[in-house]
Amino acid sequence: MSRASVRSSRRGGARRWAVLIALAVLATACASVSSGSTQPSGGDDDDADAGPPQYGGRMVYGLEAETTSGWCLQEAQLAISGIQVARAIYDTLTVPDGEGGFRPFLAQSVEPNADYTQWTITLREGVVFHDGSPLTAEVVKNNLDAYRGEYPARSSLLFSFVLQDIETVEVTGPLEVTVTTSRPWVAFPSFLYSSGRLGITGQAQLDDAENCGRNLIGTGPFKLEEWRVNDHLTVVRNENYWRTDENGNQLPYLDEIEFRPMVEAQQRVNALKSGEIDAFHVSSNTGALTIDEMRALDEAEQVNLAESEANAEVGFLMLNATRPPFNNPIARRAAALALERELSNEILSRGIATLANGPFPPGSIGYVEETGYESDDPEQARELVEQYERETGERLAFQIGGPPDPETVALVALAREQFEAVGMDVSTTTFEQSALIQTAIEKNYDALTFRNYPALDPDNLYVWWYNGETNPVNFMGFNDPEVNDLLDRGRVTADPAQRNEIYQELNRELARENYMLWASWTIWAVPMQPEFHNVVGARPPDGGSDYEGLALGHDMALVWKEQ
Amino acid sequence: MVLARELGKRFLLLVLVLFLVTLFTSLLLSMTPGDPVDTLLPVADENSEEVQQRKAEVRERLNLDEPLWTQYTAWLGDFVRGDFGDYFRVSGEDPVGDTVKEALPVSLQLMVYSQILALLIAIPVGVVAAYRAGSWFDKGANTTAFALLSVPSFVLGLALAYYIGVWLNWVPPSGYVPFGEDAVEHVKRMVLPALSLAAAQIAVYMRLLRSDMMQTLQEDFVQMARSKGISDRRVLWRHALRPSSLTLLTVAGLNVGTLIGNALVIEVLFSIPGLGTAIFQAITERQYVALQSFVAIIAIIFVLVNFAVDVLYTVVDPRIRHARARS
Amino acid sequence: MPEPVADRVPTAAAPAGNGAEPVEAAPTRKLGLMGWLSLIWLVGITLAAVLAPVLPLSDPDESFLRIVREPPIQPGHLLGGDGNGRDILARVIYGTRTSLTISVGAVGLGLIVGGFLGLVAGFFRGRIDTILSTLFNVLLAIPSLVLLLALVTIYASSDENASNARRMVVLIVALAIVSVPLLGRITRASTLAWSEREFVKAAAVLGARPWRIMFREVLPNVLPAMMSITLLGIGIAIVFEGAISLLGLGVSDVPSWGNMIASGRPELARAPHIVAIPSIAIFLTVLSLNYLGDVIRARFDVREAVL
Repeated sequence: MSRASVRSSRRGGARRWAVLIALAVLATACASVSSGSTQPSGGDDDDADAGPPQYGGRMVYGLEAETTSGWCLQEAQLAISGIQVARAIYDTLTVPDGEGGFRPFLAQSVEPNADYTQWTITLREGVVFHDGSPLTAEVVKNNLDAYRGEYPARSSLLFSFVLQDIETVEVTGPLEVTVTTSRPWVAFPSFLYSSGRLGITGQAQLDDAENCGRNLIGTGPFKLEEWRVNDHLTVVRNENYWRTDENGNQLPYLDEIEFRPMVEAQQRVNALKSGEIDAFHVSSNTGALTIDEMRALDEAEQVNLAESEANAEVGFLMLNATRPPFNNPIARRAAALALERELSNEILSRGIATLANGPFPPGSIGYVEETGYESDDPEQARELVEQYERETGERLAFQIGGPPDPETVALVALAREQFEAVGMDVSTTTFEQSALIQTAIEKNYDALTFRNYPALDPDNLYVWWYNGETNPVNFMGFNDPEVNDLLDRGRVTADPAQRNEIYQELNRELARENYMLWASWTIWAVPMQPEFHNVVGARPPDGGSDYEGLALGHDMALVWKEQ
Repeated sequence: MVLARELGKRFLLLVLVLFLVTLFTSLLLSMTPGDPVDTLLPVADENSEEVQQRKAEVRERLNLDEPLWTQYTAWLGDFVRGDFGDYFRVSGEDPVGDTVKEALPVSLQLMVYSQILALLIAIPVGVVAAYRAGSWFDKGANTTAFALLSVPSFVLGLALAYYIGVWLNWVPPSGYVPFGEDAVEHVKRMVLPALSLAAAQIAVYMRLLRSDMMQTLQEDFVQMARSKGISDRRVLWRHALRPSSLTLLTVAGLNVGTLIGNALVIEVLFSIPGLGTAIFQAITERQYVALQSFVAIIAIIFVLVNFAVDVLYTVVDPRIRHARARS
Repeated sequence: MPEPVADRVPTAAAPAGNGAEPVEAAPTRKLGLMGWLSLIWLVGITLAAVLAPVLPLSDPDESFLRIVREPPIQPGHLLGGDGNGRDILARVIYGTRTSLTISVGAVGLGLIVGGFLGLVAGFFRGRIDTILSTLFNVLLAIPSLVLLLALVTIYASSDENASNARRMVVLIVALAIVSVPLLGRITRASTLAWSEREFVKAAAVLGARPWRIMFREVLPNVLPAMMSITLLGIGIAIVFEGAISLLGLGVSDVPSWGNMIASGRPELARAPHIVAIPSIAIFLTVLSLNYLGDVIRARFDVREAVL
C-alpha cells in the first residue's frame, strides 16, 4: 500500500484513470470478506460508573499496521491505523454525529447556499497549530486546494478525484472560506470529513517538500514527539488545544500516547494480557476470535471493551453482470440463496458476525431492517439452478476469485462447497492484489470477494455503482436504470428524510438484483486495560449526539485513565 | 603457469555466465505472455488518449519496440550505471535503486547473522563429534543434523515465530529495527529469522567439519603433534581445525544460493524489509521491471561469490589441489 | 579435468549433499531400521495418495461444524478439523496427491531432460559438454527459489490465466527447469567417471557404437547417482511447493501440504495442529527421501564418483 502513494505525480494528464485505480486499490486494501458481531452499537458500558474524567497518564496503543509513508495527509492513502494516529494529531473541519449527519468540528460552521452549489466554511477563532501558527482562512484554502490537486507543492492522488467537483476555493474573510462546486452537492460536509482522512495541516508541513510525511503539524489534541518507523510513534498533550469537554474542562485528558504497530492480532492480545500495552484495535475481519476472547475478558472485568459495527465495512461476493452465467438474474438469485451464511458465520467466526442485508449497516443513511435480501435456502437455489439449466441449456458453472490471504481462501472454500451442494460447477482461484483489481476493472471474472470501505454518506458510493457500461470501477458492470436514477437523485436531494428514503430504495433494488452477495458487517473493537475509559467514535463539540462507529478510529482527546 | 591458465579459464566462464544470466533476466519482461505494458499498467479506461499516451511512453522507456538485442544492451547500460529501472505506476515512476539501497543491506545482515550463528554452533559440535566419533554425542549430533536438514526453513520459522515470539513472548515475532537506531531491539528481532535460516546450515557445516576433521586427525602432522605431548584440546583446536576452515569457508560461500532462496520466504514471514520482501512486493504488484533487476542483482552476487570461492579454492589450498589432481 | 568446486555441492537446498558422511547406515550394505521405516512411509503415502478416492475418508472439501479447529482424535475424524471444519486426515491424504504429483512430476521431467543432457555432456565431452555445462551453470547462477518464483509469477499469475490447472502445470514445468541443471550436473560428473573405466573403453575398442555404449554400458552405472539425487530433488520440490503456497502463488483449488500450512497460519496460536500435521507430513517425507538417497549413495559408492 505504501508504495502506491506516489510522490511525484509527473503526469497530471493521466491522473483521472490513475485515481480510479488508486480508489480501487484502497477499496480492496483488505479485500477479504468479513465476519463480525451482534452487539448493535458500541460504546463503553463500564463508563457510567467510572466517575468523572481524570487528567494525566500515558497510554500504549497497539495498531494493526505501520503507516510507513507517513502522514502527508494530502498525498497519503491512510488505512485504519493511519487514520487513528492522524485523528490524534489533526482535526477535520467536520465530524459525523449520532444521527447520520455531519457537524462542524474545527470549523465553527459549514453552511450551503440555497441550491447547495456554494458552501461557506467559517473557522473557530484563536485556534493555533502545534508550531504556534494561527489557523487562518488562507491555510484552510491551501489545504483544500492541496487535497483537490490544485496546490503546487503537493500532488494529491486520491482526493483530487473525490473532490473533483469543487470549482473554486476562495478566502472570503480572515476566518471564512467559500467553496463553489460545479453541481449541487448536498453531502459536501461528509466529504470534508472523508473518513477522517481530511485533516487540516499547518502551512509549514504543507510546504515541506522533502519531509511532509514526518513533519507533522496539526491543530489536534496531541503533538508528535517521536516516530521510529515500525517501532513506535509517541504523541504528547497539546496544552493549547482548542476543545473543552461538556463541563468546560480543557481537553485532552491523557498526557501521552505511544502507538505501536503490531501486525498479528495474537501479538496484540498477548501484549495486552502481559500489560505491555494498554489498548489495541481489532476488527472481525482478521480477529473475530480475538473479539470473542476479549468479550469474555470484558465479562470478567479484566479488560474494558468498546465495540461497534456502526458504519462498518461490508464484505461481499460481487458477481459479474456482463457475462454468463451472472448476467442472468436467475443465476444471481440462485447463488444468493445457495449461500448458508448462518452456518458459515458459525464455522468461521463462532457466530459473532451480524449478517449483512445490504451495503448500509444499522445507523447509516439507507439502512432498512428488511431489504428483501435472501439467502440460506438451498432447496430453492437448487430449483433455480435447474431452471437456469433448462432455459439456457448450460450448466451453471463459474469461478470464484479472491486475494490469497488465508482468511479469504477459507471463506471462498466454504462458499464453493455450498454452491456445489446445490448443483453448480465451481472452481476457485487466487489473485494477487493488483491482478485482482485489473481483473475487476476488465470484468474478466465470474465472482470475486471484495470489501468496501466505510462510507458515512451513501453519496460516496456513487462512483462504484453508477452505469457500469461507461464507468470502469463499477466492477459488477451493471447498468441498472433504477440504480442510476436513485444515485443521481440522492446526490441533489437535501431533505434528510427524503435522502434516507432514496437510499433505502437503492438498498432494496440492490437486494432484488443480487449483483453483490452480502456477507457480514465488520465489527471494530477496542479492548483496554480496565483503568482506561471513554472510547467514543466522534463527539461534535457544540452539542449533538456521539457518533458510535469505530471503523474510522476514535477520538483520543476523550480517553482518560483512572489514577 | 597451470594456475594462471586455470584462473583465466575460470574468468572467461565467469564473463560468459554473467552475460547469459543478465540476458535471461533482462528479457524476462518480454517473455511474459501478452503485452508487457498491459501487464505493468492495469488500466481502467483502455481507450482514452491519456492511457494510450502513457503506455506509449512506458513502451519507449523500456525499448519494447526495439529488437531484443537493443533492449538488452540498453538495459545493461542502465544496470551497470546503477539505474535499476523504475516501479511503473499509473501516475509516474519510482526508482528501483532506492529500494535496492534500503533492502540489500538488510538482507545481507540477515544472511551474515545466520551464517555466524550456524558456524558458532556447528564448529564446536562438529569438532567434538569428530573427536569422539562413535560416541553417543556423535550419534546424537548426527541424527539431529540429519533431521534439521529435512525441516523446511519456513516450517521452523513459523514454529519459532509463534511459540517463542507469540506464545512465550520472549522476542517480537516480526518486524525490523535498524542496528543504528536500537542495537538491542535489532538483535531481538533478527534472532528468530536468523535461527530459522541457520538450522539447515548448522547441519551442513557440522557434518562437513566432522568428516573433514576425522580425516585430518589421521594425518601425520596431527599424529606428530600428539606424539610430542601437546594436549588433545590444543591439537584439536590449533592444528586440526585450521585445514578444515577453508573447506568450511568454501561451503559457506556456496550455500549463499540456498540461503538467498530461504531468506526470501523467511523475510516475508517475519516482515523484514529486505530484498526478499521487495521481491514479494514486486510480484504482488506485478512490478516486473523491478523483479528483473532484483533477480539480476541476486544472480550477479551469487555468481561472484561462487567465483571468489572457486578462485580461493584453486589458489590457496595446495593440499586440495593436489588431492583433486590425484582423483 | 578438475571439476568446478560447485560440483561438490549439489546447489540450492540439496540437503545432505555436501560431502558429509552419510549417517549410521552408511557402512552397512543393508537398509537398516531407519531405511525400512523410510521406505514404508514413502510407499504408504504413495498408496494412500493413489487410493484416496476408495479409502473410507470424508470429502476433503466438506465442512463439519462440530470439528471446526478441533484437535486430533475426534470420533470419525482422526486428525481433527481445520479452520473451515474440514477433515484434516482427508485433506492431508488428498494433499499428498497434489504435493507428490507436483514434485514427482517435476523431478521426473527434470530427470529425463537433465539426465539425458548430463549423460550426453559427460560421455561425448568436447564442445557439446562445454555448451551444456555452461547452460547448467547459467541456470544454477540464479538461486532456485528465486528463479522458480519468477517463472511462476510471470507464467501463472497473469489474470485470465490464473486457472488452477494451468498453475499446476506451470509449477511442474518451472520446478523441472530448476531441477534440470542439478540433475544434469550430477549425471555428467558420474558419467565422466564411468566413461574412463576399462569396460567402457573396451566396448569402444570392440567397435560398439557410441550411443549404444552410452545407454548400455554407462547409463546403468550412472543410475544410482541419478536415483540418489532424484530422491533429494523430490524432497526439495516438496519444500518449494510449500514455500510457493506460503507466498500465495501455489495451487488453491485442491488441498496441498503447502496450502494447508498457509491456510492454518492465522490459526496457529489457537489450533496449532492445523499447521503441524501437514508440516510433519513434509518433514517425514523429506527425511525419508534424504535417508534413502544417502543409503543409495553409500551402497553404490556414488559419492566418490560424483564428488
